[in-house]
Amino acid sequence: MTLASAARLGVDPHRDLTDYDPEADLMVLNMGPQHPSTHGVFRVKLYLDGETIVRAVPYVGYLHRGVEKLLEELTFVQATPIVDKNDYVSPMTNEQAINMAFEALLEVEVPRRARYMRTLFAEMSRISSHLLWLATFGIDMGGALGGGTTLFLHCFREREYILDLFELVTGARFHYNTHTIGGNRHDIPAGWAKRVHQALDLIASRVDEYLDLSTKNAIFVARTRGVGTLPAKLALELGITGPILRASGVDHDLRRDAPFHAYDEIDVKVQTEQAGDCLARAHVRIRELSESIRLSKLLVDGLPEGPICGGRPIKNPTQFKAKDGQAYVALETPRGELGTYVIGGGGNKGASPYRLKIRPPSLHALAAMPYLLVGGTISDAVVILGSLDPIMGEADR
Amino acid sequence: MNAIHPIVLHGLIYGGAIATVLLTLTAWGIWFERKFAGRMQSRLGPTLVGWVGLLQPLADAAKLLQKEDLIPDQADRTLYLASPPLTVFFTLATVAVIPVSVDVAVANLPIGVLWILALGGLMVFPVWTAGWASANKYALLGGMRAVAQGISYEIPMVLSALVPVIFAGSMDVNEIVTWQAEHHWLVLGPGLFAFVIFFVSSLAEANRIPFDIPEAESELVAGVTTEYSGMRFGLFYMAEYLHTLVASAVASALFLGGWNGLFGLADGIHWMLAKTLALFFMITWVRWSLVRFRSDQLMRLCWTYLVPISLALVMVSALWVYYEPMLGGH
Amino acid sequence: MLKAEAYRALLESDFGVQEFSDKTPPCIEASEHHRLAATLKERGYTLYGFVAATHMPAVKGAADALELAGHYEVATGLRCPTAGSHIAIWRVRLGLDEELRTLVDLFVGADWQEREQYDLVGVRFADHPDLRRLMLPEDWEGHPLHRDYPIDTPHPPWR
Repeated sequence: MTLASAARLGVDPHRDLTDYDPEADLMVLNMGPQHPSTHGVFRVKLYLDGETIVRAVPYVGYLHRGVEKLLEELTFVQATPIVDKNDYVSPMTNEQAINMAFEALLEVEVPRRARYMRTLFAEMSRISSHLLWLATFGIDMGGALGGGTTLFLHCFREREYILDLFELVTGARFHYNTHTIGGNRHDIPAGWAKRVHQALDLIASRVDEYLDLSTKNAIFVARTRGVGTLPAKLALELGITGPILRASGVDHDLRRDAPFHAYDEIDVKVQTEQAGDCLARAHVRIRELSESIRLSKLLVDGLPEGPICGGRPIKNPTQFKAKDGQAYVALETPRGELGTYVIGGGGNKGASPYRLKIRPPSLHALAAMPYLLVGGTISDAVVILGSLDPIMGEADR
Repeated sequence: MNAIHPIVLHGLIYGGAIATVLLTLTAWGIWFERKFAGRMQSRLGPTLVGWVGLLQPLADAAKLLQKEDLIPDQADRTLYLASPPLTVFFTLATVAVIPVSVDVAVANLPIGVLWILALGGLMVFPVWTAGWASANKYALLGGMRAVAQGISYEIPMVLSALVPVIFAGSMDVNEIVTWQAEHHWLVLGPGLFAFVIFFVSSLAEANRIPFDIPEAESELVAGVTTEYSGMRFGLFYMAEYLHTLVASAVASALFLGGWNGLFGLADGIHWMLAKTLALFFMITWVRWSLVRFRSDQLMRLCWTYLVPISLALVMVSALWVYYEPMLGGH
Repeated sequence: MLKAEAYRALLESDFGVQEFSDKTPPCIEASEHHRLAATLKERGYTLYGFVAATHMPAVKGAADALELAGHYEVATGLRCPTAGSHIAIWRVRLGLDEELRTLVDLFVGADWQEREQYDLVGVRFADHPDLRRLMLPEDWEGHPLHRDYPIDTPHPPWR
């Protein structure tokens, strides 16, 4: 579905019909906001001709919690646990994003050990996020009762190892609140590196099992090949980044192209595919998973000694103040480019940001829905939505 | 007692016994499936209710019975209420002609195979009407998909069921089993491909994964059964497992030799049970390993692969039976 | 970096920007907004980045007319997705009743992002095909990130 063919089909994704044309004899089916497969509260109104989708109108905002407004009231120090809940599947990258933005604004240096730790946590978070994606993708295709569940439970079993490792460092399995302005709050306990190697070796040995249950399974391939092809030009215009963009053939990864933290010291092999369909996205994510395992092992072995925080230890929520200045910092999360645009000089005598805008990669990915769904069936809609991997907490904030 | 015709009495007693056994097997088939699925997924399955969770089916039934009896306002009451019991009825009625032991069946119809296939066709109707009567778009889509899938896969099922009929020269299921007892099991010879096609078609008729798009939970919420709750939903659920067991029983009778024993061991009901349960195990295994087909891929599989192959098989069987005496019998 | 310098040179030569600062992105005229985006797109900045609108309330006794009356500041970012990935960010200052020309004809992704800024902040975009609320319900009144939005009083339509 290209822009030209969308225009030819009379598909105008900007428009929503409140009553459909009676001559068209289309059935309106609402998928969501409560639905077993919409990955959170997301609604898409499908106009169906039989089982073929003629028009798809997505509605977001069901999980809008006013995070940006809230962060204008809270101080820089208090922002981390709030932002944890945006992309709730890989919380480490959320915290990293916001603290990097604040450090750019406040001009605080991050010591080398903290940079390595943050990168390591981000890569491990990427592994757990892609495992969760694969699990839910299996459920979308095979149903909650069936072969999809087998894949789901196997992936979750592996994910538990990573969550256990995070628990050893921070005390929490999810929502860690471990990053702070200038570095991290929790240091790595003794013997952790060995456990990381054990867990990652175990996961690496099971990647073949996942491939058997997914990309080497004939029915999985039949359901995903040629489905939801996203042309590269459309992806770029929509602002889609991350595995989806790479699966459409664009070789762009912020970890390699605009390196931040420890990425300038290690070599990231960027995985791309040319097809741009759901199968290509699946391939890219599974290969990224293997690549992240390799990177995590490198990082945990090469962790330098030193302090873990460059800012002053937190005694007072208003201790970091910014009178003015604006900063935009972007990093590569499992979903794409998560950017934070912050303007200093807000309330609490400059201890709060004046405006904080979070650029969520999932929202840009969801904007592709009207283009990708047209011409497919409902079964395809579920598979396409799964392959875009949207997290509504991040898309709606 | 004089007022009741002996055939009716025979039918009532045998029918009651076989139906009871079958329904019990269904209930504990559900238990087995859940345990097996759990083990495939590195977990235990039901463990709390009774020793290793053996009382779980009773707990499930009790739970479903005490739920609120909902009928949607805009639903077609007659069809809505009639559909769940009809699914169970048609499935159970199929068992009437299956010989569970030597010459033991509810009814030894000379057109037994036709009876099975006809009821198999009728089974599509209650699912379809349930989908329509629910006044719910998801249910309607599920019902339409069920009809498309059901009537398409009947054709390879009928054609592959003709192969045992051709070999045994009779549509009486007991005669087919007797023929297999005297000669050899059909699956161990020319009937292998027919067995495979029959097996796959039965999976599709029973709406089991990978063919479960009528109730595709991740796409259609609960498909045809979306608006059903309580024991009505329980009846659909039970009908699915019952259909699986019945399809396994039919396949064992037609292809695997029914009550006939291996290695010269005694014939009897234990063999029939063993074969039925073995096929049930295979169906369960397939279910928990594979993801589902998309509806057009499913149709393509049926019409472009299964139908031509089963047609060819019928012709090959006919030629085989005709020419075999001339080529020297086995 | 080569790209950052080229960007700065472009702004100086074609868009008349004199002040550059490390702390804030460069500011251009509101009427040049679309032309800058088109120029950058031709130069390879094809990945749509972000748009962030902020409401700056009136400052008493300010020298600048916009600051005296209260204005919107819209920051836009476009990224060049090649090696040495650079994001070009610029700011635009708008009066409270002015509309900023939309970028939808250049970047389809601007559709939802501009709708979100309209929804939360209140800044309007001219020539947008479908400017309505994205995050909040259709019948919501007010723009929460506007500085005048009352949060301490029970405010309709949320009961």
